[in-house]
Amino acid sequence: MSMGRTMFCTQEGPLNTISTNRDATQCVVAGRNVFKIFSIEDEEFVEKMSLRVGKINLNLSCTDVVWNPIEDHILASAATNGAVVTWNLQKSSKSKQDHVFTLHKRTVNKVSFHPTDVNLLLSGSLDGTMMLFDLRQKEVASTFHAGTDCVRDVSFSPHHYFTFSATHDSVVDLWDMRRTDKCERQFTAHNGPVFSCDWHPEDKRWIATAGRDKAIKVWDIQYKPHLEHTIQTIASIARIKWRPQRKYHIASCSQVVDFSINIWDVRRPFIPFAAFNEHKDVTTGIAWRHDPHNFLSVSKDCTLYQHLFRDAVRPADSAAPVGLAINIHGDVTHAVSNKLENASAVKGSGNYQSTKAPSFFRRPPSRSELFKSANSQVQVYQNAGVKNSLSMDWFVISAKKYQLTGKLLKDLCEHNAAISEHLERYDVAQTWHMLKILYSADAGQAITRTFTMDSNPDYSQRNNPDKGAGQAAAGQPRRPRHGQQKSRQTGGTKPSASPGSMSGQRDGSPQRPKNSGRQLSNIASGIRQQLTRDGAGSTRARTVRAAGTDRTGPPDNLNGSPPSVNDESEISDMAQDQPNIDCKVELLLSTNALAEQSHLWDSTQMVVDMLHHFAAKGDVQMSVSVLIVLGDRIRPHIDEHTQEHWLMSYIDLLGRFQLWSCTNEIIKLSGHSAVNCLNQQSTTVRTACNRCGKTLLRSGWLCDKCKGITNSCSVCHHTVRGIYAWCQGCSHGGHLQHLQEWFSKYQVCPAACGHMCEFAS
Amino acid sequence: MFVARSISADHKDLIHDVAYDFHGRRMATCSSDQSVKVWDLGEDGQWHCTADWKTHSGSVWKVTWAHPEFGQVLATCSFDRTAAVWEELPSESTEMGLSHWVKRTSLVDSRTSVTDVRFAPRHMGLQLATCSADGLVRIYEAPDVMNLSQWQLQHAIQCKLSCSCLAWNPSRVHPPMLAVGSDDANPSAGGKVIIYEFSEAQRKWNKVETVMIVTEPVYDIAFAPNLGRSYHMLGVGSKDVHVITLKPLKRELAVTAPPQGSSTQATGMSRFEIRQVAQFCDHYSQVWRISWNITGTILASSGDDGCVRLWKANYLDNWKCISVLKGDGTRSPTDRPGGQGAMQTSNVQGVGNGTRYYKLGGMLGQTATNQVVWH
Repeated sequence: MSMGRTMFCTQEGPLNTISTNRDATQCVVAGRNVFKIFSIEDEEFVEKMSLRVGKINLNLSCTDVVWNPIEDHILASAATNGAVVTWNLQKSSKSKQDHVFTLHKRTVNKVSFHPTDVNLLLSGSLDGTMMLFDLRQKEVASTFHAGTDCVRDVSFSPHHYFTFSATHDSVVDLWDMRRTDKCERQFTAHNGPVFSCDWHPEDKRWIATAGRDKAIKVWDIQYKPHLEHTIQTIASIARIKWRPQRKYHIASCSQVVDFSINIWDVRRPFIPFAAFNEHKDVTTGIAWRHDPHNFLSVSKDCTLYQHLFRDAVRPADSAAPVGLAINIHGDVTHAVSNKLENASAVKGSGNYQSTKAPSFFRRPPSRSELFKSANSQVQVYQNAGVKNSLSMDWFVISAKKYQLTGKLLKDLCEHNAAISEHLERYDVAQTWHMLKILYSADAGQAITRTFTMDSNPDYSQRNNPDKGAGQAAAGQPRRPRHGQQKSRQTGGTKPSASPGSMSGQRDGSPQRPKNSGRQLSNIASGIRQQLTRDGAGSTRARTVRAAGTDRTGPPDNLNGSPPSVNDESEISDMAQDQPNIDCKVELLLSTNALAEQSHLWDSTQMVVDMLHHFAAKGDVQMSVSVLIVLGDRIRPHIDEHTQEHWLMSYIDLLGRFQLWSCTNEIIKLSGHSAVNCLNQQSTTVRTACNRCGKTLLRSGWLCDKCKGITNSCSVCHHTVRGIYAWCQGCSHGGHLQHLQEWFSKYQVCPAACGHMCEFAS
Repeated sequence: MFVARSISADHKDLIHDVAYDFHGRRMATCSSDQSVKVWDLGEDGQWHCTADWKTHSGSVWKVTWAHPEFGQVLATCSFDRTAAVWEELPSESTEMGLSHWVKRTSLVDSRTSVTDVRFAPRHMGLQLATCSADGLVRIYEAPDVMNLSQWQLQHAIQCKLSCSCLAWNPSRVHPPMLAVGSDDANPSAGGKVIIYEFSEAQRKWNKVETVMIVTEPVYDIAFAPNLGRSYHMLGVGSKDVHVITLKPLKRELAVTAPPQGSSTQATGMSRFEIRQVAQFCDHYSQVWRISWNITGTILASSGDDGCVRLWKANYLDNWKCISVLKGDGTRSPTDRPGGQGAMQTSNVQGVGNGTRYYKLGGMLGQTATNQVVWH
């Protein structure tokens, strides 16, 4: 089926109106200085004739034109000067003008042919009258007066011979053309002028109206006019036209602002079913070609367009059918279109359909069926329990319970480690333990207490591989995600002392404390390795390295001072005799002498990297907490901007959780000038007059309102300098000495307010 | 573990956007039905609608909260070519617990549908960016934060491509940055994500990058919260979910790298190393919305499959799906009968390894609360 194509042709002036002939193969377009008939071909518009010939006068300045729906050679036009002109295309003369009615006093807005009676023409004018012309007699058959209101639109009912509608300012009249004195029915349809009305081509009960109030309304007029549907558009509506063969669809164009032609489904009044955005100025006329997929339009931009539905824009298609948000607590809200819900239900259950009888075949629902019933479901997935990786409970608890100051570093680390362990954040606990070892003097004891040094992870995995796997497997049924963890443990990293792998654990997958133990020994092994590398002679060192190749050593900056207490040979012996190392290291570490030297390799860079790592992984809390706990031990090694960034980020986060006390503590402890001043910036302390309560603006002792000095002594009535003693009950007070004297005698307030002041006792 | 609750939102058309406020205790929804609803989390843990009003004369595409420091303020944008700023009137709540919102301003500069509206990060003051279907990004500022009815159009950036979404970079230590996504359907039109940076020296927004990795239409874009990261992370919802990192290159490097080093130096524009760290096609076709968690470590996405998928990087920076959320608000007729409780089904869509697909049983009618098995 050849449907033609979307096409246009440009005229010499703006166009006001369009009408098609009976079979919609030709169209007439008209404007102030254009009046032409085109034949609509597959590929182009072909101009058949121009009616603007002969004597050019205002009669040709068209506001409206209609083609007779029965006789293909009769047309009628309305002009700005009030003339109604009929045209006969069969005339042999150059001018086809047939007759001019000049009865209206003002602009005629609309002309309408009777749908079945070829000789009846109706006009509506700004002068407030409608006229029914009989074309045979070339005279007015009847005149209808609409009072003072101007007539915006008139149209015959396609269903009742005698009925026509007329729209005015805010009201719609239904007339019986046999009665000229009074309309049959009238109803208020809009708030402001009603520019257009269109009878439904099929449904006899329905009439659509539209106007300056930007609304398109569909009325059931079978009985008392009843509002069936309202479409709220974005601009004042100039024209509406029902779409043929689609009961619920109506086309509209606007008078201002919006240049597009929108096709609405009245059942879904919020978003156009289709839109045509070709025009560059407002669209003034729409004419369907008896085909729901094809219509013509004219515009102030001087173009005549043919539009095809296949080229329509579908605003609803680019509208997101889902909404999604995560809040700070890790709750997920998901609003999803019921269509998607169903779609995925169908797809999701696809693998079960084979076991069931095949569902009977149905024609897929049409686009407009799918379009009409749009609705969304809202689901809130509230996260429950700390195990959820979206949960932020760990953050809140840590923020509240971490100790950052006021104790020895080792105690702080221990405390914080315990908190992290309790939250099953073993990697963080681990880090705290590690910091303790690195920075606290008697770390050696801690090590021996915490661990029995069963082995470092390398060996544990190598020596009894079942253990690690078994552990992971044991976790499997409960939390299948351990599967991932398992692969991480076996196939994944070589355990190392680098912060990366440890923090990797903090995916939230809980581990047994035992793991954490083994991890910590890992650090010890790192230290040991360093020790040996530092201490061993050049030849021995190579052996050590060979033995330690399968693990990643700590960073390369081994600029610590050489160990003074350790016997070189003993260390190198250990290096050669791997299984014994751990015990010996334990011994070594447990001596305070060594522990004091535990930072003989410079771990600073590693700690700095670790803090960066935590920040990058979204745990700025850890970075800031460590920063504060370590203080000057680490501060100078991290640049100011980064510190500020972390601190401010953490403070922001605390603010989101409304942890104001924690925020304050961090600000206080930040040791960073830009952060410290936050407290001062946003804090204002106002003093108020103790008599009238007005804020003291100028100074602390003079009230502008009472014109007096605040806080005078209630006993001697002089200004109090220095200590001011006052009653919290009545706020009267004064010189301490005076009050003491007063209350040694009396119990009531010296200001005679009658209050039994508290400090009288 | 998630507990799924359906809320009967009672919008008369599709809901296009959902936004939580700063503290996560209020929620706003906007819909094609031209209205916005505000929900408050009650003491009982339930969401209650405390306001519902008509905001526009067209579909409301997006809704977003301002930082609470500026009051209880919402911004909306609509098909009706406007964006609006709303403020809640402080009043003792009525018996119904309803609150009243008033329009403080209507931003009417756009000639086409306004597709996104976002408040700038707090440290930039009260600024608002909008983008529209005709490819214009506009940045407004309220010079007086106490007066929400006065907004000045500060900048208008022409993007050439029709814009569908935008995002502010939340980082406080980097120059102000905007990412704009385009829903232009033509893949040959090039990258659909464009990065703009504000040059303090020129007082002007400059285009610094076009992300060529994404050529399909983009419908949502979001920077991950930056909590002390030195680089930026951008989530993009297109045909696939993309996670892209933008590493600022050192200024000196940037100056020497491009041939016109001098011009770069003059403009002082940053250069970035852009890398795609993840791309997923698990939603059936279009990804409509993405959202980051507060720490910027988990990305949630939702697409045409009607599911929420959560993505997270493991310790090796490999991004994996860690969960699929699917609530069964309605039970479609094709749904399996007799679904009770949580059922495990095989992973139909072939999500990454180790991902399981759990479906909520249809418990509607008995109780609105379903247990979603999650791990």
